[in-house]
Amino acid sequence: MSILEVKGLKKTYTTRFGGNQVQALKNVSFSVEEGEYVAIMGESGSGKTTLLNILAALDKPTGGTVLLDGRNLADIKETAMAEFRRDNLGFVFQDFNLLDTFSLEDNIYLPLVLAGKNYREMHKRLEPIAKQLGITQLLKKYPYEVSGGQKQRAAVARALITHPKLIFADEPTGALDSKSSDELLDLFSAINQDKQTIVMVTHSVKAASHAGRVLFIKDGEVFHQIYKGHHTRQELYQKISDTLTLLTTGGDRA
Amino acid sequence: MRKSFYPKMAWSGISHNRKLYIPYFFTCIAMVMMFYIIDALSVSSVLVRIRGGETMQGMLNFGKWIIGLFTLIFLFYTNSFLNKRRSREYGLYNVLGMDKRNLAHIHFWGTAIIAGISLVAGLIFGIVFSKLAELWMVNILNGQTDFKLRIEGSAIRETILVFLVIFILILLSALRKMTMASPMELLRSEHTGEKPPKGNWLLALVGVVVLAIAYGLAVTIEDPVVALAWFFAAVILVIVATYMLFIAGSVTLCRILQKNKGFYYRKQHFISIASMSYRMKRNGAGLASICVLSTMVLVMLSSTICLYAGVESIMRERYPRDLSYEVHVSAPKYLNEESEANWRQLMEETLHESHLTASDVLEYTSAFFYGKLEGQNFRMKDELMDMETNESTAFDVDEVYVAPLGVYNRVTGEKETLDAGEALVAVYGGSYENNTDTLSIHNDIHFNVKKVISNFKAIHMDGAVSTKVYYIFVPDFDEVAEKLAQYNMAQYTTENMENVYFKCYYGCNLDGSDDAQMAAEGILNNKFAALNASQQEGIDYVSYESYAFNKESFYGTFGGLLVLGILLGIVFVFAAILIMYYKQVTEGYEDQSGFVVMQKVGMTKKDIRQSINSQILIVFFAPLLLAGLHLLFAFPMISKLLLLFGLNRTQFLAMVALGCYLMFAVCYIIVYKMTSGVYYRIVSVNNK
Repeated sequence: MSILEVKGLKKTYTTRFGGNQVQALKNVSFSVEEGEYVAIMGESGSGKTTLLNILAALDKPTGGTVLLDGRNLADIKETAMAEFRRDNLGFVFQDFNLLDTFSLEDNIYLPLVLAGKNYREMHKRLEPIAKQLGITQLLKKYPYEVSGGQKQRAAVARALITHPKLIFADEPTGALDSKSSDELLDLFSAINQDKQTIVMVTHSVKAASHAGRVLFIKDGEVFHQIYKGHHTRQELYQKISDTLTLLTTGGDRA
Repeated sequence: MRKSFYPKMAWSGISHNRKLYIPYFFTCIAMVMMFYIIDALSVSSVLVRIRGGETMQGMLNFGKWIIGLFTLIFLFYTNSFLNKRRSREYGLYNVLGMDKRNLAHIHFWGTAIIAGISLVAGLIFGIVFSKLAELWMVNILNGQTDFKLRIEGSAIRETILVFLVIFILILLSALRKMTMASPMELLRSEHTGEKPPKGNWLLALVGVVVLAIAYGLAVTIEDPVVALAWFFAAVILVIVATYMLFIAGSVTLCRILQKNKGFYYRKQHFISIASMSYRMKRNGAGLASICVLSTMVLVMLSSTICLYAGVESIMRERYPRDLSYEVHVSAPKYLNEESEANWRQLMEETLHESHLTASDVLEYTSAFFYGKLEGQNFRMKDELMDMETNESTAFDVDEVYVAPLGVYNRVTGEKETLDAGEALVAVYGGSYENNTDTLSIHNDIHFNVKKVISNFKAIHMDGAVSTKVYYIFVPDFDEVAEKLAQYNMAQYTTENMENVYFKCYYGCNLDGSDDAQMAAEGILNNKFAALNASQQEGIDYVSYESYAFNKESFYGTFGGLLVLGILLGIVFVFAAILIMYYKQVTEGYEDQSGFVVMQKVGMTKKDIRQSINSQILIVFFAPLLLAGLHLLFAFPMISKLLLLFGLNRTQFLAMVALGCYLMFAVCYIIVYKMTSGVYYRIVSVNNK
């Protein structure tokens, strides 16, 4: 069963002084099955971020529908949206988005506190996640005291602790060094093994090569997609590279 | 071209940061204006000519330097804030190839522009409004002036000089900071990782204890003179405690709340408490300053308004009759019908010559000494002082009058009779606590107390109202007085060292103008001088008091205090507003990113707004509430101090203080409304 279904998504921006219309998304359709690990790739300006914002219900499409677990996002009221997002979606951002005023532990608790969970339950949920992510020793530290990779792992823990149906990752390796990036990507793979659905936007070929499927977006449309299938990671890496070359040199749909 | 480069850069820097600089300009202009006004008034030739004006000018001269000092501190504070906000810009210039010397030039021109504009505008407004202030002061002093606009050259020179020094000091400190920072530090100075605030338990505890001590002092001190001595100590303790509480106490409180997991991990508390501890760490000093300033404004305004409004009653306490004389004689035998009639005659002649009519005549003879009631015995002042090496105890001695019973019957209209050895005790400003049947003076002169009257008001004699006054009315005054005189003689050989004074008071109210009354005092003075020259035996000295004469110097003093109170109040309110404004702006920029994150992790805009609202409310109104508490505890002390000035109207003071507080709160709320709008606008910029 599809956990996420996107049909004919359009998004048009009007520039501030009227007149010029910019089409960020022309016609995007795809679906994500439960337990899948999907990477979305594309150049800067291809509409990746717009797409993710719409999927995450942070922005509204001009046309088309997004069904999450069978529910149309457009039907959810503005006031219920924050709660819906909190209960069903987990987010990992390029710049971590941890609050400086909280220790890592409190940052991870934040969505649960907002959902009104009590301390004992929060603590029970945190333990296995912190262990899996290897941040048990860091929980009492503050964001300014830890490295980027550690911050990102705390952000992943924050995304996981609500047991979301879907995790959205927006360039999660963008601000990390290569070692931390590798660790994080391995972590994502491990989480995905545990049946966690992940949608990741990236333009790192390496990051995308960890996914089970890669979608390419160009000029506001899904241009191509590659399944990992029986390929090894190296083979997938090569295929992604080739596709990107094709994309940038202006080839038509393969 | 090259020459105008730096001024242009400086000007564009200022105009691009309008939001920050406009309030700063206003403040600088206001400070210059206030300084000029006060300075101009303190040298104004109009005021000198009015009676009481000189007293007032002395006070203004003092106030001028308070404002100067305050301006220095305050502009330093706001300027460091401005530079911090702009350091990114300077860092960028530095990276783009300007060296520190170029930046120093920009700094210099920036300061020069600000100094120039605020001095010119401030002086113009100052000259215009100083006329208004002059009219107001003249009105307070009941004097007269014309409507000519006066410009005080010396005040202008002094204002320019003082503010140039202030601006130069500010420039130097900004340059010093700049030369020590590297470009990257400049670029990042706004976003350096901040350590989580640690609650300083010890400092918080000390703050609580110090505040408790200060409050304890304010509440427990009974004696006005002691209150005066301790007032400034209490003020300093309160200021210290306020800073400690806001800086350390608030963070510690947040930490304690965070330890309580059941309380902390709740939607309503979680974010508020965590960000409050940061907010308090950053703003503790600013909030404490607001609190201290507010308290000062409130105390100053309520006490000066009270004093000014109470001038009449203070005057009447001090000068119960319009015109009076008091003849001090060296021995009781000189207080006799004949000489008293002689003196009375002089007064009557005087009034006749001045075409004045007397009413409410009060005339009495008495023996007077300073003493302390211990058990059923009055000890005299000198006797008390001997015991303690000529020091102390002078604080809490009371005044004791021994007078003929006839005086009592005359002023009250009653017909009391006493047998020899009996006495009637009346107490002004209190009650006869010991309530004994017998009473003695120096364990030597004994009375049977027949009747006691507390809070006796029919006579109040001149002198300090702050102490209690005992009246002992006796049927055989001459005998008692003689005994007191013998005691005097026995104790001291020279008459100057006497303990007991014998005197005759005559006072009356008059119907003429103030000028006529003052003239009458002069005539009376001459007549007594003539009498003394023709040597009437036994007169030590004579004192005269004219209500009209003293009224003007009182108005000068209290009017001066009021003017100073109001002017300083205005300055402090300005300062408080600016601090609040900058606080909101800084916090807005600091909270911007957090705001975005919170939305991404699933907080609704409403949640965020609520959380921020509650934080701002606490941060904003904590100083106001604490200032209210300070005022409440300062109240007993202020009322004691006013008692020193002769003002005994606690209820009135309470009403004035409450009124001032409410008015201040209204101003505060208006400022809050204005500045919180700025905050929300900054916070919601990135938030579509």
